[in-house]
Amino acid sequence: MLYACVYATILLGFFGILLKENLVMKIIAMDVMSTGVIALFVLVAAKGGVYTPILAPRTAGNYADPVPQAVILTAIVIGFSIQALMLVAVMKLARDNPTLETRAIEQEYRP
Amino acid sequence: MMLWTMLWIALPFLVGFSIYLLPQSDRPWGRVLDHRMFALVVTLVSMAYAMVLFGQPAPLSWHLLDNFGVTLVADSLSAFFILTNALVTAAVILYCWHSGKTTFFYTQAIVLHGSVNAAFICADLISLYVALEVIGIATFLLIAYPRSDGQGPASRGHRSLWVALRYLFVSNTAMLFYLMGAALVYQTRQSFAFEALEGAPIEALALLLLGLLTKGGIFISGLWLPLTHSESETPVSALMSGVVVKAGVFPLVRLALMLEDIDPIVRVFGAGTALLGVAYAMFEKDTKRMLAFHTVSQMGFVLAAPEVGGFYALTHGLVKAALFLSAGALPSRSFKTLHEQPIPTPIWIALVIASFSISGFPLLSGFGAKVLTMKNLLPWQVIAMNVAALGTAISFAKFIFLPHAPATTQATKPGFWPAVLLLLAGLVVANVAYYDAYSLANIVKPLAIIALGWLVYRLIIQRLVVKLPQVLEEFEHLIGVMSVMLMVLFGMVLA
Repeated sequence: MLYACVYATILLGFFGILLKENLVMKIIAMDVMSTGVIALFVLVAAKGGVYTPILAPRTAGNYADPVPQAVILTAIVIGFSIQALMLVAVMKLARDNPTLETRAIEQEYRP
Repeated sequence: MMLWTMLWIALPFLVGFSIYLLPQSDRPWGRVLDHRMFALVVTLVSMAYAMVLFGQPAPLSWHLLDNFGVTLVADSLSAFFILTNALVTAAVILYCWHSGKTTFFYTQAIVLHGSVNAAFICADLISLYVALEVIGIATFLLIAYPRSDGQGPASRGHRSLWVALRYLFVSNTAMLFYLMGAALVYQTRQSFAFEALEGAPIEALALLLLGLLTKGGIFISGLWLPLTHSESETPVSALMSGVVVKAGVFPLVRLALMLEDIDPIVRVFGAGTALLGVAYAMFEKDTKRMLAFHTVSQMGFVLAAPEVGGFYALTHGLVKAALFLSAGALPSRSFKTLHEQPIPTPIWIALVIASFSISGFPLLSGFGAKVLTMKNLLPWQVIAMNVAALGTAISFAKFIFLPHAPATTQATKPGFWPAVLLLLAGLVVANVAYYDAYSLANIVKPLAIIALGWLVYRLIIQRLVVKLPQVLEEFEHLIGVMSVMLMVLFGMVLA
């Protein structure tokens, strides 16, 4: 069930990138997609249990896997820096193309 | 060796960020020891490291921090790619030496150099992901750079911004798919190392391959490449076509060599992209777009025979960087205009040497690389790759048959000749790496292909005006093609 939700998030994000006209909406859709991927990592990490891997008498054995979580932390940082970079670029582009419609921008800058 | 590797990996980032903080000094030592010099030194260090790697008897590999940590593998395949990276970056820095580019440009170039190096040496999915994303960001900043220098009309600046944004968007979406694949691999195998792909679920393989194919500009998922490479500035184009696409191709080669399941898929895509790229390149009327399509095609040669892909990648990197730099020195980008007005002879000679090498003419390293690749093909690939080689000869006849006249004025930038000479010298020197190629049969075949290619060009292509549709290069289609490719890959992995 949870897996289905995660995959649905990723797919919805992807279709957003594909179908939305506005550049800002596309970037937000990409953020949705990357949220889905992050959730997938968290879910994979929780396969063995959901407890923080700190040695305590009550939770013996049911630890979440710290490796995917550590890895996805890096990916989150990279993801948000790319989003920030893209939004700055969109801000600059908006000066010439206030509507930010992809098709219009593409036509204007076609060689 | 491990310590040296660590230092070598860290050096570009250290230098890249510290030259940005370095005060610009007018004192004599300040003029010599400026950011350009530091950047050049970094590439020299990479060159030396690649040479040391060639001398190692066995592949080196390290697991840092137990089996969950970073895995590195350095062998002669990595050495070829690292050497390509070092030579091309050095040439680009020499080209920009007198162009008054700001420190920001050199910082990005060196950070890019370092992250490409990292991609060539890592052997686990996550380090590769990080390296590829850093490459994406650094390339974005380099493409968008003309925006920040305040020269030229504003629309040109905004245009490069759009090209950069488009690149980052496509590459980041591809990398999200890749990351999904990495998660699925970990789920079944509890490891991110490349070895873990053995026995990984098919959907994971399909997702990973989609990410890498898109990043490496292969087949239809690589159609973002022509516009990006042709609309960037000359040195940035050289850097991107010379090394940056190879960061996506290298893992494919590495995986094909490690895993038997992936090898046929990589070979199929190699043949497919070689034909697709060359078909576009033959009918292209714009110099830089032709070269960019040709990169799509040449990456196919690298993938078609993964065992010897390293050498091919080296020669292609040198040739393509030289061609982009020379094409940037031409008065026009349209072949039609160039046919009407003679180009300076020295530039023509540089273009011809590079074109000869890429067509596989003996005495240049393109010849050895082509012979070696052709030898390692599987039977079903032979026809496709020979057709692609013929197409290469045809498309480069466009450069060879350009009219030329002795130069009247100093037309080239001061940094042009050192850069191009370095690359062309690299081509000649790399030629000795595989001198077994010089047998009569091996020499006759490329000559016949080149002659046939010229004949076809003179008789047919030159008179033909075909405008191939560019519709697949539109932004939305680039994203849409990813879903198509995912289905195709899924089917291929399943088969």
